Amino acid sequence: MEIVTASAAVGYIGKVEENSAKLYENLAQKHAEDGETFLSLAKENRRNKKSIEYAYYGIISDKLEACFCFKNLDTDNYSIKTELPEGIGYPDALRKLIDMEEKIQKFLLDAAKQSGSLVPDVSWIFERVGKERTKRIAKLKPLLDKVAR
Amino acid sequence: MAILEEPIKQVLTIKNYIGGEWVESKSEKILDVVNPATQKLLAKVPVSTREEIDEAVKVAREAFPMWRNTTPVARARYLFRLKELMEERFEELSRIQTMEHGKTIDESRGETRRGIEMVEVATGIPSLMQGQLLEDIAVGIDEFAYRQPIGVFGIIGPFNFPFMVPLWFAPFAVACGNCIVVKPSSEDPISQTKIAELSEEAGIPPGVWNVVNGGRDVVTGMLEHPGINGICFVGSTPTGRDVIYKKCGETGKRVIAQCGAKNFLLVMPDAVLDGTIPACMTSFFGNTGQRCLSGANLVIVGEGLKEHEFNAFYDKIVNAFVKAASEIRVGYGLDERVQMGPLRDKEKKQRLVGVIQKGVDEGAKLVLDGRNIKLIEKWPHDAFLNPAVFTEVAPDMYIGREELFGPIANIMRAKTLDEALEIIHNNPYGNSTAIFTQNGKWARKFIHDVKVGNVGINIGIVAPMAFFPFAGMKQSFYGVLHGQKESIDFFTDRKVVIQRWF
Repeated sequence: MEIVTASAAVGYIGKVEENSAKLYENLAQKHAEDGETFLSLAKENRRNKKSIEYAYYGIISDKLEACFCFKNLDTDNYSIKTELPEGIGYPDALRKLIDMEEKIQKFLLDAAKQSGSLVPDVSWIFERVGKERTKRIAKLKPLLDKVAR
Repeated sequence: MAILEEPIKQVLTIKNYIGGEWVESKSEKILDVVNPATQKLLAKVPVSTREEIDEAVKVAREAFPMWRNTTPVARARYLFRLKELMEERFEELSRIQTMEHGKTIDESRGETRRGIEMVEVATGIPSLMQGQLLEDIAVGIDEFAYRQPIGVFGIIGPFNFPFMVPLWFAPFAVACGNCIVVKPSSEDPISQTKIAELSEEAGIPPGVWNVVNGGRDVVTGMLEHPGINGICFVGSTPTGRDVIYKKCGETGKRVIAQCGAKNFLLVMPDAVLDGTIPACMTSFFGNTGQRCLSGANLVIVGEGLKEHEFNAFYDKIVNAFVKAASEIRVGYGLDERVQMGPLRDKEKKQRLVGVIQKGVDEGAKLVLDGRNIKLIEKWPHDAFLNPAVFTEVAPDMYIGREELFGPIANIMRAKTLDEALEIIHNNPYGNSTAIFTQNGKWARKFIHDVKVGNVGINIGIVAPMAFFPFAGMKQSFYGVLHGQKESIDFFTDRKVVIQRWF
């Protein structure tokens, strides 16, 4: 799906954050030993969704280029999957989560770069949420190290 | 991608809101409100009678003494509640605008946000309405000045911003202690009905906020009614100048008439194209070109360039502009892929089809023909045009001179900034303009010299925030005070007191 408008970008990333939150909540139930980490990630997903929507709905105005702020931003190029295959083992699940976070990060940073000063508040929040993904990945990697040992 | 859910599910019967009651009009003349993208009937709106506007003014005048004696702090709290309700219904209000007007969902949300911003600023009325005081103008004598509300104001809204434009005035008038009668555009009256519903839900007392739907009779009724103290109008220059401003002068009413435009955007040789082109697309084709701040004429300026350099620069800008315009996705605004919606109705499209032909007949070169309709998904073509671009447009051609109000861009060239300024100044309008440059000296000269009300530096749509005046010069504005925050002076009288106690 090619994204050209701010509405489509905010709607898409909002769904990604919500679906990721649900994924982490499910994992917290399945893997109680790491439940706290997963729940904190899910909480952050919902906070991110709110922050992005707040930035968009708070500043959207006809003086900004909301309908013309993205070019060649195609979600198909990122293949962000917020579901895990049935019966996947825990180490593979963690690898997929790290991969998902990296792809979301790339999408957010690319979107931030493209929209730049055209919808500056949205671009700013995309960049912030994108950069913070590094910390999320850093939380997931030790879990993988632990189970892969 | 799916179309966002439509909030209007069945055909609405629009009523007037008079004295806190939803009143069915006695008029036999009823108009259809049609979704311009789908051509589906959305609502039926009455063309109200002279008696109905008289009744609205009567109840507004009756409510005035109570409302003016309601303290500014209490009035502000009603508006806080109204703002909260608007925030709660933000998405519904936005989608209604797309349905009744045709604009994209991003544009509708932008309109909702800017409308709410007006209410937000008006909630500051306890501070904004304060007067002045000087102690001891002579020993033991003080002088002070109050602002006091005046009475009843009429607000006449245009079709292009059915939600926001009446809010440039309404919340400020009401916050100051006046009562209002709003006449929405009969082409897209649903948004103002929704706002009136929210004003009722917010508890604003009966008679303070009234809505009368209709056309010329309602406007004439407002203009001639001795019970209306002032008129706020946004619309075309012929109506604003020859009807509204003139009649308000005759009847002694205050007037704000924000009128038509022909806006010039200048691209200088050092403009940053990555930002300039999207800004131009928004300016020329946003809201399908139906706004008084839209770009109309793009002037490519060769300041400091040799002739062959200027030719190359001109070609580069034209190519980038035309390519971007040709790639604009046109369709139903509730589809998030869409960048430009239809015109408000098929009559407007037909007029613009004629305008495009006129441009061709005048000798301008049509390099992108918007009459070739290409849409995202299948919709009736009735009200759709695609972006059109002319080059080789002279400023005195009809298409270069007059307000077209549609997605038609004219490209011109000027050797120098001075020549570009002269082109702008020879046009009778003075609403908005912009310059795209990284050169502070050029930008500063432009700001200083240009005789236009709203000026953008690397901004294509110069839409002033609620806490600034919405400016406008020459034939784009008639009156003294402008809308938005500045209207507080418009909606109040000054009373000066000099006080001594023996």
